[in-house]
Amino acid sequence: MADETSDGVELVGVQVNEDTCIGAGQCEMLEEDTFYVDDDTVIAGVIGTGMLPRDRAQKVVDTCPSRAITIVEPAAEEEQ
Amino acid sequence: MSSTAAVNLHNPAVFQAGIPHEVFAEMRATPGLTWSPEHDGTRGFWSVTRYDDLVTVSRDMSTYSSGVGHIQIYDIDEDALEARASMIDMDPPVHTRLRRIISSAFTPRHVKKYKGAIQARVGACLDELEAAGGGNWVDVVAKPIPIGVICDLMGVPEQDHNYLIGLTDHLVAGTGAEPLEPTAYGNTTELRLLPFNSPAAWAMSQYATELADVRRAAPEDDLITKLIEAEIDGERLATEEFANFFRLMIFAGNETTRSSMAHLALYLEQFPDAFAAAQLDRSLIPALTDEVIRYSSAILYFRRTVTAPTELSGTALDVGDKVVMWYCSANFDEAYFPDPYAFRADRPTAPPHAAFGGGGAHFCLGASLARLEIAELISDVLNRDLSFASIGQPEFVESNFVNGIEHLEVTL
Repeated sequence: MADETSDGVELVGVQVNEDTCIGAGQCEMLEEDTFYVDDDTVIAGVIGTGMLPRDRAQKVVDTCPSRAITIVEPAAEEEQ
Repeated sequence: MSSTAAVNLHNPAVFQAGIPHEVFAEMRATPGLTWSPEHDGTRGFWSVTRYDDLVTVSRDMSTYSSGVGHIQIYDIDEDALEARASMIDMDPPVHTRLRRIISSAFTPRHVKKYKGAIQARVGACLDELEAAGGGNWVDVVAKPIPIGVICDLMGVPEQDHNYLIGLTDHLVAGTGAEPLEPTAYGNTTELRLLPFNSPAAWAMSQYATELADVRRAAPEDDLITKLIEAEIDGERLATEEFANFFRLMIFAGNETTRSSMAHLALYLEQFPDAFAAAQLDRSLIPALTDEVIRYSSAILYFRRTVTAPTELSGTALDVGDKVVMWYCSANFDEAYFPDPYAFRADRPTAPPHAAFGGGGAHFCLGASLARLEIAELISDVLNRDLSFASIGQPEFVESNFVNGIEHLEVTL
């Protein structure tokens, strides 16, 4: 799923584990075009392309209080 | 670990001049957890002071329970625990069901909707301070903003805000040395059954119950209405459950942000460079906001109780052991926050500070709201180029639980 923007920044995919998400919305705070906390379930989901520059994706991963967000590594994607 | 101050952390006097950083630095440098022995007939406790350990305890909610035992250092009877229980005193999955009743109102996207109202409250308070040429920053700025915001969300009428400020002041005072008269506010309940053992908690429950009756007759688009209409497994919250929920929201939404806003005035004076940097580059305001929150560490600790034999940082823990997470120490852990006592507008915000907790289900529900309120206060302070001609000595709240400031006189 690795991709690049026109200026060569590596993009990676992100995913949310719905079982561990507590809906704190820290992902939505950092990247509102990529994460959206549902009003009814109060669980975060991925919206848009679901792709972020690796450093920004890593910041979201490190900030999530329930460690519910992971980066989808290109190798893992190819195996599927 | 032999430091007398370290073993006396149950004593509010240790925090009389603010966070005792040198005590916590010594504890962080000592392997294992620090033991504070029995005091006043209450079982001793382990102190968690390092960031890593605090995160471990916060996220392992089955081993380190909020629902077993009290979440403060002092122990209380089972019936008292039950009488005061709100979601903060519970473990998943019950905690999760309660939190979901209201949590959608606190997501970053929803919180943005309150921005205009928050700006108006901040502006009015700073106007008042400027018009008077100064005053008690706590009374004029730090108290009214957060209580106003949380009361708006809950649906508490404006004319009752000061009453609730007074009650929460007493709740905090209840963690210190001088409690209210047992019969204050007409209380008839045994104090040991009341949160913070304070009659003010009884008064707040009474207030909540009356307001709920008003909303049952005339529902509004507010959190009180949401709470009274919510069904958990087909059942509505009982009167006491609702009152406990209300009290938690008012206390947590008010006292914490108030403390950070009170400290903000001190930081303006002590660390002018950080604010000057944000004045030049407003994109630093979010990081500066989190620095205020880290540095003030409004809630000093929460306790967990061990439910199964385990080990943490080489210290063996047994069932029933009390484990106290000192957020005010983890936030200054050298391993995660280089040069921790430096107050910086550009400190990296990941990994996050622990002032909203170390993660897990109890992560601060109001984190986004608190950030917005404090960021708006910083913005307005910068817009006005507010500076103090003089600032008095802060009078700290005598508590080992909240890092509050009672009084801080400023002149402009």
